[in-house]
Amino acid sequence: MRLTEASVAIRPRSNWEAMDLGVLLARRHAGLLMASWALVTLPIFALLCLVFWDSPGIAMFVFWWLKPAYERLPLYILSNCLFGNTPTLKQALKAYPRLLKPQLLASLTWRRLSTTRSFDMPVMQLEGLSGTARSQRLAVLGHKNTGTATWLTVVGVHLEMALSLGLATLFYLMLPQQLELDWSWQSLIAPGQNDWMWLEHLSNGLYALLLIVWEPVYVACGFCLYLNRRTALEAWDIELVFRQLQQRLKGIAYALLLGAGLLFSQLPGTAMANPELKASSTSAELTSGPHLTPDPLGPHAERLQKQALSSQAAQQSITQLLDKPPFKNPETVTRWRLRDEADANKEEFTPDPDFLESLFSGLKTLGKLWESMETLARVFSVLLWAGLLALIAWVLWRYRDWLSTFTGRFGLPQRPHKLPPSQMFGLEVTPESLPDDICREVSQLWEHEPRAALSLLYRALLSRLLHDYKLALKSAHTESEVLQLVASLQQPSLEQFSSSLTLHWQNLAYGHRLPPATAKQSLCNSWRQLFEPGVEA
Amino acid sequence: MSEHTPDQPSASPATSPAPASSAANTAQQRQRASQLAQALRLELQKALIGQAQVIDDVLTALIAGGHVLIEGVPGLGKTLLVRALAKCFGGEFSRIQFTPDLMPSDVTGHAVYDLQSEQFKLRKGPVFTNLLLADEINRAPAKTQAALLEVMQERQVTLEGRALVVPLPFMVLATQNPIEQEGTYPLPEAELDRFMLKLRMDYPQQDEEMLMVRQVTRSSKADMLEVAPLRTLLQGKDVQALQKIASDLPVDEQVLDYAVRLARATRSWPGFAIGAGPRASIALVRGSRARALLRGGDFVIPDDIKGCALAILRHRVRLSPELDIEGLSVDQVLQQLLDQVPAPRL
Repeated sequence: MRLTEASVAIRPRSNWEAMDLGVLLARRHAGLLMASWALVTLPIFALLCLVFWDSPGIAMFVFWWLKPAYERLPLYILSNCLFGNTPTLKQALKAYPRLLKPQLLASLTWRRLSTTRSFDMPVMQLEGLSGTARSQRLAVLGHKNTGTATWLTVVGVHLEMALSLGLATLFYLMLPQQLELDWSWQSLIAPGQNDWMWLEHLSNGLYALLLIVWEPVYVACGFCLYLNRRTALEAWDIELVFRQLQQRLKGIAYALLLGAGLLFSQLPGTAMANPELKASSTSAELTSGPHLTPDPLGPHAERLQKQALSSQAAQQSITQLLDKPPFKNPETVTRWRLRDEADANKEEFTPDPDFLESLFSGLKTLGKLWESMETLARVFSVLLWAGLLALIAWVLWRYRDWLSTFTGRFGLPQRPHKLPPSQMFGLEVTPESLPDDICREVSQLWEHEPRAALSLLYRALLSRLLHDYKLALKSAHTESEVLQLVASLQQPSLEQFSSSLTLHWQNLAYGHRLPPATAKQSLCNSWRQLFEPGVEA
Repeated sequence: MSEHTPDQPSASPATSPAPASSAANTAQQRQRASQLAQALRLELQKALIGQAQVIDDVLTALIAGGHVLIEGVPGLGKTLLVRALAKCFGGEFSRIQFTPDLMPSDVTGHAVYDLQSEQFKLRKGPVFTNLLLADEINRAPAKTQAALLEVMQERQVTLEGRALVVPLPFMVLATQNPIEQEGTYPLPEAELDRFMLKLRMDYPQQDEEMLMVRQVTRSSKADMLEVAPLRTLLQGKDVQALQKIASDLPVDEQVLDYAVRLARATRSWPGFAIGAGPRASIALVRGSRARALLRGGDFVIPDDIKGCALAILRHRVRLSPELDIEGLSVDQVLQQLLDQVPAPRL
């Protein structure tokens, strides 16, 4: 693997950018990827269809389940393309049986439903890791990328569904109308017969076709996520910059080195001396170099030695002044603090090799113990969560009456009753439970069972109010409250009829008084006018 | 059912021999009784403006032979209502202002030594009347409040070992103030249960208040409505006749069942710590009969029960502590209950 030959710009990207790069990569090598995929999967699909001709569902499922096996080919092609040596179709197909071997069983069984499949695949296939090494490597790599890889799979699932539905719809649109009619009739007349099996196989085929487009993209996205993570982990971009630097400077580096050596050998000769000083200085001073002795005329030389205040004394007093406030404000703060654990350890730490060895072995056993403890802890955490959920469910069940009484108080949205109740006030109030011609029924009953007749009429009124006028009647409503609700409908004729019927009904039910004979005709007439305008009495 | 209904048939001429004419007679009598009740209502509405519901409930209690506890903030005319009722009603009326130092004997009466006759004489207290106004009843301690227990339930007072019957009709109207709790004694449950209705007086509507202010400021007395111009409409025996007629109103089994179901529902309702006792179902049926008479009906319908249920039940139940803390009132929870107990049909 030579990073300088990579066909993509290697730099750290965000996860989504990396997936975008994957789409780009798949698009660049689309022809090769799709052709190789089609050449591998379509024969398998055809074979499966033949084998499971009677149950297309199983064929579809097996084909879907084998996806990780096909995905190895696009990954091989992509990994080669990345560093320039794009294989031909023939080479790729030739390499495929060799690719299939490692860990095929694991891929097709317990790792099949992994949501990070495309991201994990390069570790197995390109790095050739397995077992504990693989899982450790995945733990390192998947630190931040697992979420994105999972999202990739989720998006993939939805995309597959959307595309297959879309293709099916497109196909359905193309059907000639006669065929469609035929199809509907067939499914109506003989739903059990499998004359239309080929249709299901066709829709399976549509799925196989759309996988040709989507799967290379999926594999490429996962691969690029993997690459991006490695770029970040192993600083590929920095390495790349250094390599480029090395390549660029290889030619002139020697010349530069030579030049630098020459330059440094010339340095002492270029030191300039003061001609006056040269005259007065001794030869010894010359050999030791002019820089080693303090310059008598320099800023640090002692001056004004004859004056009351020599330069040295002035310097000292300046230093003293600078040490005092306001230039320096030293203050001592004393406070308590916890003894630092690390410091304490350091103090007690003796570099005894035996002790170190025993310590490390002890730590190792502790680690192993911890691992086993972790399993136990997981079991306990599962148990505790299950217990908590069970407790919540039990509390909800135990206090269900209380909750249902006071849901209004908690502000929970109470679902409005969509369907009017079929039973109310202990009566059947569905329209189906009433006779077709209510008036005739009432007239027949009136002579012998006036109570039943009035009850039927009142029940019919309630049923009409519930279903035709959508009044929100409740069991707790008394007759007058029903009348008030009717009054809110603003229909004078209905209101009049309801009030007269209610009056007769109350007289009969609670006062045990028979209604007058004239009431029958007037009530029936009003009923017909209100609810059966077409029928004349 | 109505154990306090007087037995004397003085005002009830329902003793005619022929059943057909008796039925007609009864109907006529009912009609007259309900006319009388409605006239009384109109008269009271002249005195107390804007409290039609409370007036109806007080009349319900009068006809049903129950006692009333009226609760409301000061200045809403609680006492005025009782005085107006006393004015319209020709019977005796007395009033006790309950104070913290009031003694039971100040209510019921006591024996006094008479120097001239050299023997003890019974001096009857203010309870020996037809209409008793117990003003600010919660200002007296529990022992004084308990002096009313016997007379309210049994219509008699035991003084010096002798049971003395109070004149009938007998009705206690007590008032109390819900906001001032300082120095008051909450009524014990036994006392509360003896009140048939507990009424809440609320502030009047704007137009009604305007009318009231106009009338009060026109009156010669400083700041109260006069009850003097009210007519005396009925005497004690008329009230007894009304009570008798009301207690004869037929109640269908379904309606009776509804009343009992309502009272029983309060006992198992999750929002109540304590439900209503059997007195509540009795009061529901009696109250509904009275309301039916006031309405002018010939029989009791479920609406009569539902109409007086709130006033009958609100002081007989106790809210569960959770709901009390939540700030829900008894009326809200009772309304919820009334909305869920099915009304009778068929």
